[in-house]
Amino acid sequence: MGSDTRTVGQTEAKAVVPRGSRNVLSRGLATVVAATGLLFLLSELVASSSVTRGTLLTMFPFASALAIAGLGQTLVVMQGGIDLSIAGGLSLYVVIATKYPAGVNSRLWPAIGIAVGAAIIAGLVNGFLIGRMRLNPIVATLGTNALLFGAVLWYSAGIPTTTTARLSRVGGGVWLGIPIPVYIAVVTTALVTVVIKLTPVGRRFEGVGANATSAFTAGIRVRRYAGGAYVWAQLLYCLAAIVHASIVNQPTAYEGNNYLLPSVAAVVLGGTSLLGGRGNLVATAVAALFLSQLDQFVLALGVSYAARTLVQAGALAVGVAIYTIDWRVVARRAFPRRASTLAPT
Amino acid sequence: MLIVALGCIAVMVSATSSSAHTDKAPSWCGPKKITLGLTDGFGGNSWRLVTTASARSEAAKCPSVSSLTYADGQGNTQKAISDIQGMVAKGVNALVVFPDAGKAILPALTSAYKAGVITVPYRVTPGGKAGVNYNVFIDTPFVNAGKDWGNWIKQVLPNGGNVLMLSGPQGNSQGVEENKGLHQVLDPTHKYKFIGAQPFEVTNWDPALTQKVLSADIAKYSKIDVIVSDFGPSLVGALPEFTKSHRSIPALATSDGNVLGCFWQKNHAKNPTFKLFTVSTQNDHARLAIDWAVALATGGKKPSTTHFPALTFENSVTGKPHPVECQASLPGDIYLSAELPAKVQAKLVKK
Repeated sequence: MGSDTRTVGQTEAKAVVPRGSRNVLSRGLATVVAATGLLFLLSELVASSSVTRGTLLTMFPFASALAIAGLGQTLVVMQGGIDLSIAGGLSLYVVIATKYPAGVNSRLWPAIGIAVGAAIIAGLVNGFLIGRMRLNPIVATLGTNALLFGAVLWYSAGIPTTTTARLSRVGGGVWLGIPIPVYIAVVTTALVTVVIKLTPVGRRFEGVGANATSAFTAGIRVRRYAGGAYVWAQLLYCLAAIVHASIVNQPTAYEGNNYLLPSVAAVVLGGTSLLGGRGNLVATAVAALFLSQLDQFVLALGVSYAARTLVQAGALAVGVAIYTIDWRVVARRAFPRRASTLAPT
Repeated sequence: MLIVALGCIAVMVSATSSSAHTDKAPSWCGPKKITLGLTDGFGGNSWRLVTTASARSEAAKCPSVSSLTYADGQGNTQKAISDIQGMVAKGVNALVVFPDAGKAILPALTSAYKAGVITVPYRVTPGGKAGVNYNVFIDTPFVNAGKDWGNWIKQVLPNGGNVLMLSGPQGNSQGVEENKGLHQVLDPTHKYKFIGAQPFEVTNWDPALTQKVLSADIAKYSKIDVIVSDFGPSLVGALPEFTKSHRSIPALATSDGNVLGCFWQKNHAKNPTFKLFTVSTQNDHARLAIDWAVALATGGKKPSTTHFPALTFENSVTGKPHPVECQASLPGDIYLSAELPAKVQAKLVKK
């Protein structure tokens, strides 16, 4: 996956991850799995109340919704983009999934159908603006986000609606001791991973993200793949929204705001480069678990709200630093003589 | 808007048939004809919708008010300021303001006041002084809600216990004041222990965060005897966390909401410790502000107070002043403590 045909700035930025892409994939997953394992160990040692069964039964469903939303964000980031409209999109789908049925179980499936329809439209708007019109993803998705929030306020007037009983049973349900949203997240992650990693369409999708020019010369319809990522992302946000609505009994009209930063954080902690290319989908899902447990861990520590926010920001900074800083260069500069004996991190 | 208008008409019709308001104008309604403005810092939730509709129905009681114009700041301070300036430019005689952004709104209030508009901010303090920056500020003593909760806790847990308080964003003045009231009542007994973050657990009044915070506290504290929260309806999603941990839901001192009343009715039998006490969510605070603005502008009689009292509403133990209320056929997001009839509220929130 050469980066020689990218712009100079991108080439320089990519050069900080000099290892082969296969290596990057395994490194991302290994790092985030190790970090999550360490976090659970630390939770057990320092704040054992954050790993009791009751707490885990609360944490896992939230982690599942974040993992699904994170997968959507990963698809977009793999195309070198970023999707800020996740906040408005997810809020809209939550509102549709709760307000349209308004407590009537039989209206749940039509509501989900409408939410999926809205997701496809939102994705097509993003895809058209970015894939075809070549607008900057930050600007385009920020605009779409405002439109989606407009739709949220138009439809709900900002008023929360209680989730239908049928949907609540899914979110609160437990099968074989594991919350049902976890199964949904695992199946979704597996499906998306199989499609991206093992099918020709998925390989082409990755190829376009890694090097659009090479993909174009190879005869791949680059714009369709770049734009399509936004449609699939919105569909995944829609699924995340339905899971979220099932967990929270009376979600507000602004639930998507809680996903904007964490979804990007999950992508980054999972080791997917923000410049596009190969995506670590499983790692993103594990990173979602990491972030959710980190939330629960700092809550259990009983530290002040300010300290909680700082711990979360610190974890993100460390995560970004692991992937974006070339520690061998840092080590060489800090210890010029011994540099050759230091192992790369 | 059509529904809001219909709601107001319904209120006016019901007022005609059921009370003497339209037969004889209330004392705060003077003879001078005026136009009235109402601006909100943020209007996008059911509480605000009901509050705004309450303000409209109050203004409709006075025939001297020829029109009422409403503007929603949509959570944008800049828009809230320009809304106030717009109202002044339009030439309203009196202006009632919900200054969500607090002191940031003060210059706009001052310029409205200096332009000769009767200016009445309410609920959130904008700083400044009555008679200098605005005519009068209609406040509510949040500390009294804390005292009411404290007194009820003393009744239901006479031998003491662990108290967990939840409120909105870190440092919000409402939560801080309520916490003061709680301490004033409970501390002298030396029987009650405040657990969790102090002065309160931060939930941002967000149901998802409330769920996470509560599950963390349930795991951490094996004994929670009473939960105090200033936004009862946001707890409905979080209280089942106790059931997940095979514990009975504890006593709850909070503010009212139809969804909460219905939740209590459904769950109190299975949870023997689940007793409920609510104070009114105070949608009618806007009515007192309207009364003042109209009285000053039309030459009516000024209301006797500038303080809107904290009113107790439901008490599951004594049934006084009201037993726990639930209107299962109506939406959860209405407030049965409000003067505005439940059915009118239901139409508002269903849109």
